Amino acid sequence: MDRMDLSCLESAPRSRAAELCPADLMSQSVSGSSFPLPQVQDMDAFQRDAMAYIKPNHGTTTLGFIFEHGVIVAVDSRASSGTYISSQTVKKVIEINPFLLGTMAGGAADCQFWQRNLGMRCRLYELNNNRRISVRAASKLLANTMFSYKGMGLSMGTMIAGYDPTGPALWYVDSDGQRTSGKVFSVGSGSLYAYGVLDNGYKWDMAVEDAIELGQRSIYHATFRDAVSGGTVSVYHVTKDGWTKVRGVDVGQLHYKYYPECDLHPCHGKPPI
Amino acid sequence: MFLTRSEYDRGVNTFSPEGRLFQVEYAIEAIKLGSTAIGVKTKTGTVLAVEKRVTSPLLEPTSVEKVAEVDEHIGVAMSGLTADARTLIDHARAETQSHRFTYNEPMPVESCTQAVCDLSLRFGEDDDDGGSGGGMSRPFGVALLVAGWDNGSAVLFHTDPSGTFYRCEAMAIGSGSEGAQTALKEGFRADLSLEEAEVLALSTLKQVMEEKVTSTNVDIASVAPSYHLYSPTEVQGVIGRL
Amino acid sequence: MTIIVPSGTGNVYAGSGTIQHPSWSPYDENGGTCVAVSGNDYCVVASSNRLSTGFSILTRDESKIIKMSHKCVIATANCQADRKTLQKTLQTRHIMYMHNHGKPMSVAAMAQLVSNTLYYKRFFPYYTYNLVCGLDEEGKGAVYTYDPVGSYERTGYSCEGTGKDLIQPVLDNQLKASSPLVLPAENWMTALPMDDAVDLVKDAFVSAGERDIYTGDVVELLIITKDGVRTEHLDLKKD
Repeated sequence: MDRMDLSCLESAPRSRAAELCPADLMSQSVSGSSFPLPQVQDMDAFQRDAMAYIKPNHGTTTLGFIFEHGVIVAVDSRASSGTYISSQTVKKVIEINPFLLGTMAGGAADCQFWQRNLGMRCRLYELNNNRRISVRAASKLLANTMFSYKGMGLSMGTMIAGYDPTGPALWYVDSDGQRTSGKVFSVGSGSLYAYGVLDNGYKWDMAVEDAIELGQRSIYHATFRDAVSGGTVSVYHVTKDGWTKVRGVDVGQLHYKYYPECDLHPCHGKPPI
Repeated sequence: MFLTRSEYDRGVNTFSPEGRLFQVEYAIEAIKLGSTAIGVKTKTGTVLAVEKRVTSPLLEPTSVEKVAEVDEHIGVAMSGLTADARTLIDHARAETQSHRFTYNEPMPVESCTQAVCDLSLRFGEDDDDGGSGGGMSRPFGVALLVAGWDNGSAVLFHTDPSGTFYRCEAMAIGSGSEGAQTALKEGFRADLSLEEAEVLALSTLKQVMEEKVTSTNVDIASVAPSYHLYSPTEVQGVIGRL
Repeated sequence: MTIIVPSGTGNVYAGSGTIQHPSWSPYDENGGTCVAVSGNDYCVVASSNRLSTGFSILTRDESKIIKMSHKCVIATANCQADRKTLQKTLQTRHIMYMHNHGKPMSVAAMAQLVSNTLYYKRFFPYYTYNLVCGLDEEGKGAVYTYDPVGSYERTGYSCEGTGKDLIQPVLDNQLKASSPLVLPAENWMTALPMDDAVDLVKDAFVSAGERDIYTGDVVELLIITKDGVRTEHLDLKKD
């Protein structure tokens, strides 16, 4: 870097307002003062090496689905940095506002930062328009931001779940700028395992309690097979009255809940002969 | 040889020989044409009451917005050129949200007021530094009452176009401000309850308003401790207690 | 024995106006270990004062903890250049905050600021491992732990830096309580008496000093209580 970062000394109101305004954020080039770039020719190689050194936290299983009685969102809580488990207590559901949830898969910092940023923009929308933002619009704000940083190496796979006047909604948004709505999603390294359980048990008209149980069980089975998923399973339920957290269970306890007899477990079964 | 007053009141950046900035003073005059707004602080919260001036039965009263929410813990009442207030409020909202984003806490009300006043002062700046507020041609012709909640206590600030702000117990701005302030001085006590403050604010407003007070031509809001704009029924309830 | 030697081979970061060197790398791994343990009314923060590069010890007297206020300190391990810049930036921000808002920053506010400051360098990260520690608004001990690009979480105790693999499991064994995510909520902090926490941290450092080449010399302990910040030193082996 050939210049000192003195942005902290700039006159506060002006720089902050510029940093904030959604329109500005969209048009602002990433090489602006808020995100300094290294002075290198091969940015990709630099990013690759830097990330190999730094090993930001990652790894996840998250899922979300819409059914008759709202939206269910379920996540694990493990973060790993390389092969080291850096936390077993990560909060992977980000509570954007009382009617909107975001889930976290990919780079922990990328998800945390941009979803906090999204929360702020949703609040500004609410103040300026005297009504809550729709899930559709919120997910579009995030997808546009992601698209503007495309190719810069951000890593984020998220579901925006919520309830607005049009009903329950679930959108998948990722760091490539992709954005799709759907009824059932699972994101993260353990998603394949979660899908197996989820698709098998999903019914549109299932009872709330069954849906919560399905979410929990899908995450549990993903933590069982995916080494970088684990910790605690959290389940959220979103209805027209907003979201509530309905479950928070340690995976260790779930293991004994689902397989009270060790010998019956597929991994501990007696030899065939 | 001194130039006459009219020759010093065109530029916003030039003092008169007596040390006055006429454009700023004229802006303060503009507020005296505005509708009246009153703020009363109590121990449990602050009440804002404003006159709406619904000039025609063809006008939709809810579209006249004279009080606004800045953040959960801050509300403002305005008087003067309300279009100018829009810019200030947008700025205040961006500032308070930015503060939450950076520090994960509500912005202190005084800092928010300070941020608004910083913008009010920027009328004199050039636009060549590319700043967001530069290049304004005149001062904002609006005064604000900023009601807020800070660390367990209510606060009320008054700002004017010169960028000055004061902390107040009770304050009135707008065309009826002189009469209203006299009434507030008589009626205000430090131990008012929020309900008594609602009555004091509205009865003071009633004294200075030309029309009869109804649930459509006044707005009442409180910050106690979070912002709440009264529904017509709630306003009617306060009118009933006058 | 293996260590990561921070010099890329075959990677040439050369652009016009930048240093042209076959293995230019902006980062150095200077090692160091930071530990923080919090309780009901205190927070113990400790860090070893050894600064190394590769197999060489540069100095035995490099403090890695910066005191922001009487309720908040920041401990930073690894790349010394980045730590200096980061801590200085944060200190400047804190002073500006006090001028603007007339009060020192709470630990929660500082925690958020550190996260943002790290993330704004997302594309050229600070190669640092941070712990923000202190007393929260209720007077309870608080520890916030970070990854280098700013994802963060509040915990009861944490260890960062080169001794992390050695010390964190010991802390887990002694202090781990229920997860804060569990419903219905359970107590998620094992609150030791303060003296026990200080002893635990000292023991952890003595052990880590036996097995981690980057931990040694002197441990600086900052003990934060409602009465302010008290500093203690513990000598480790110099080898």
